[in-house]
Amino acid sequence: MDNVENEFSPEESLRLISSMIETTKNSLKDRSHYFLLWGWAVFIACIGQYYLKVIMNYPNHYIVWWITPVVLIIQIFMIVRDRKTENVKTFINEVSAYLWTAIGLSFFATSFIFSKVGWQNCYPVYIILYGIGTYVSGSIIKFKPLIIGGIICFPLAAITAYLSFDYQIIMLAVAILISYIIPGHLLRIKSRKQQAHV
Amino acid sequence: MFKDLNPILHSQLRLAVISLLISVKEAEFTYIREKTNATAGNLSVQINKLKDVEYIDVTKQFKDNYPQTICKITPKGIKAFEEYVKSLQTYLGVKK
Repeated sequence: MDNVENEFSPEESLRLISSMIETTKNSLKDRSHYFLLWGWAVFIACIGQYYLKVIMNYPNHYIVWWITPVVLIIQIFMIVRDRKTENVKTFINEVSAYLWTAIGLSFFATSFIFSKVGWQNCYPVYIILYGIGTYVSGSIIKFKPLIIGGIICFPLAAITAYLSFDYQIIMLAVAILISYIIPGHLLRIKSRKQQAHV
Repeated sequence: MFKDLNPILHSQLRLAVISLLISVKEAEFTYIREKTNATAGNLSVQINKLKDVEYIDVTKQFKDNYPQTICKITPKGIKAFEEYVKSLQTYLGVKK
């Protein structure tokens, strides 16, 4: 852009404004790696827990969830790395950060509640939390797979409450597949395509 | 010719900067340069002009030992931008 001043028409002015606003839309950072990290970690843990509990009859089947602090550490490294390369702060990214902080804190708080009242009914609640996070996130960035995945979590959570714990594990895996893994991969594909066009 | 249009904003690069900043919370100098394809020198001059009329806030800080310039639109800048867009609409409406 050169240093020409006052030599462009109002039409060109409007075009410039809309093209710049359009440019910032494409500045939405690709956050699919967080969905994929947690999605695959939870999915693998569910399969692991089902295998240990139902097939192996191993009493300490819940040890698979020790994957959570490991993933949390990886996520912190990812956040630090993302912050370093971030040269713009958008309102959307900020709202998303608040949302996921609230969801993260909800998982933390509910873990204390379930430690007290028993873990047998934790999965329907976790499915609801996945639903809230992905539905709101998807709506903010107007990404349908996340919105749909999030909405599906609500009836899924209701059904899960009526199932035995063994099936609840499977339902959690289904919920994370629909709300995190599939939309996460689709979001990644979309972001890669957008980057290729810029 | 376009006497009703705010001369501060009716300049390609300054308008581009304000249009970028209106849709984000804040942006680094490098981001604005990347999106406007302007030279660092020219962009710096235009950003200072916008800062002088208090349309934007400019904060200089260090991030990982590298200097960083962060720009943010002010309420005065938002008002000026809105008025500029209104003037544009009026002008184009009259022309139609």
